[in-house]
Amino acid sequence: MNTTSKTSIYKGITPAALIAVIVMPMVLPSTTLATEILIFALAALGCNLLLGYTGLLSFGQGIFFGGGAYAASLSMIHLNFGLLSALLCAMIVGALLAALVGALAIRRTGIYFVMLTLAFSQMAYFLAYTLSDWTGGDNGLLDVPRPALEIFGIQLADLTSSQAFYGFVAALFMLIFIFARRVIHSPFGSTLVAIRENEGRASAIGFSTSHFKLLAFVISGAITGIAGALYAMLLNFAPLSNIELMMSENILIMTIIGGTGSLLGSLLGAGTIVMLGDILSSIWPRWMIILGIALIAVVLFMPAGLWGGIESLMKRFRESKTSEPDPKLQQEAKS
Amino acid sequence: MNDYILETQNLGLRYGAFAALGSVDLKIRKGTIHTVIGPNGAGKTTLFHCLTGERTPSSGSIRFAGKDLTRQPPHKRVATGMSRSFQITSLFQNLSVRENLRLAAQGRDGLAALAFWYSDSQRQQHLQKADEILERVKLTALANTCAGDLSHGQQRVLEVGMSLCGDPELLLLDEPTSGMGIDDIPIMTDLISELGKQHTVMLIEHNMRLVMSISDQITVMHQGNILVEGEPDQVRGDERVKKAYLGESGS
Ligand SMILES: Nc1ncnc2c1ncn2[C@@H]1O[C@H](COP(=O)(O)OP(=O)(O)O)[C@@H](O)[C@H]1O
Ligand SMILES: [Mg+2]
Repeated sequence: MNTTSKTSIYKGITPAALIAVIVMPMVLPSTTLATEILIFALAALGCNLLLGYTGLLSFGQGIFFGGGAYAASLSMIHLNFGLLSALLCAMIVGALLAALVGALAIRRTGIYFVMLTLAFSQMAYFLAYTLSDWTGGDNGLLDVPRPALEIFGIQLADLTSSQAFYGFVAALFMLIFIFARRVIHSPFGSTLVAIRENEGRASAIGFSTSHFKLLAFVISGAITGIAGALYAMLLNFAPLSNIELMMSENILIMTIIGGTGSLLGSLLGAGTIVMLGDILSSIWPRWMIILGIALIAVVLFMPAGLWGGIESLMKRFRESKTSEPDPKLQQEAKS
Repeated sequence: MNDYILETQNLGLRYGAFAALGSVDLKIRKGTIHTVIGPNGAGKTTLFHCLTGERTPSSGSIRFAGKDLTRQPPHKRVATGMSRSFQITSLFQNLSVRENLRLAAQGRDGLAALAFWYSDSQRQQHLQKADEILERVKLTALANTCAGDLSHGQQRVLEVGMSLCGDPELLLLDEPTSGMGIDDIPIMTDLISELGKQHTVMLIEHNMRLVMSISDQITVMHQGNILVEGEPDQVRGDERVKKAYLGESGS
């Protein structure tokens, strides 16, 4: 009998993510590239909570990403916010924007929900474009600082070097990764899965599904806002493209290619897309065509994404070694 | 003392100009198995939807355990002690049987399940509830199987089992034997009569043998209204009931 030995959130894919985070800067051509991967992995993580675990396809992720980038940048430039307070500010703005978008969008389901998030995305872009006094409009917001890591005025680390900044982003990534696993394996997270599986039944057994979807949005927005803030700090610049529909699409593509329903998939998806972009864009300016083909291939042949593909490979490998597969192990390897 | 757990007054529901439910005064006595029967299109499912909150009635009221819940949404009715199963099996197909039941137990918590900062296995009571129901519906051996991999009969049993997890006072079962093979029906019959000892059960059912053997009270519906009400023996011999059913097969 299974005495519900739920996977600890510190085991399984958490050490796997930790190893990836440690190895990445060693094997990748630049630390900046590795930092960018982690930042987009955070955005994909936030997206995955909605798409993979709640079943909500949101085109609003760019709003939270761009909103977080602007919030952190503006608070550092105009209010002299430090690193952590700027990130906190981005997190809150991301959460609030997500609460706003979520509250209205979840009044509808299916394609109407998707259309609403699309409409919000367009609105946010034009708003950012129009408010060019604040956002720099088309030119983007220049001279975004990257303050040192301080707690109560005591400087802990100078993040000017790309290595130091990577270290900081990596630590934050691991924290949020573990947090996201906690969320998924909580009463709240299991209810999200129930909503994804069968919303009518979830409601019939007592869950007010709209409250759950809204909180999923808020958590997703908070994480995505932090990612946006880190991206602005990495580039020392907050481009308008942060809040474009294209950004939402990219985040969605990373999430889907990596594999919905697994947090490690989000890291894999972000890594794949960011690296493909980095390598291919220097060789061939029309590299997005390849991205399109890759997306089609994954959706058609690997519905569980790259991570799902790796999982089933590992499963086959394990089965060929031990003739008797352990269904419990397979279940726990997930999420 | 009012020993009716559920009372409706003039309950009606119109689809446009068509009254699927005319004016229904239904009273369900605490601790009984009360079955609603009637020919196809009589309005049984419509009545059921009004009771569970899936549909808002166009007229009349519903009182449950002394409270008016005519306009309460479905998820709020669970916390008041009402629980339902579906005529068309509605499970979490990709989750294990135990997780289906655990979630259903967690549903009784309502918004307290928004907690995202601790592990769901910390809420031992939900796991215990799930295991208790597994025993009761005799699915313990299949606890870790995907709900979607169960046979149809087993899915029907799980469907009823899920409605038990919220510790309901009143169980609303919509055709629990729907689509079940002849061999599985006795399992369901036993299960329901077993449930009747601990809960009040309102049942919609087509299988006459089952209805007659386990019901304490039977309400016969016809064209959106109550035609006859009484104990199984009274209903069995009633001419109006025969005519209503004959009318159906004649048309
Ligand atoms: N959504 C709907 N729109 C219009 N008419 C409906 C709808 N649902 C049910 N009806 C009609 O209401 C009547 C009662 O249906 P129903 O309650 O499903 O009957 P029963 O469950 O007793 O077979 C039927 O004539 C049916 O055609
Ligand atoms: Mg019906």
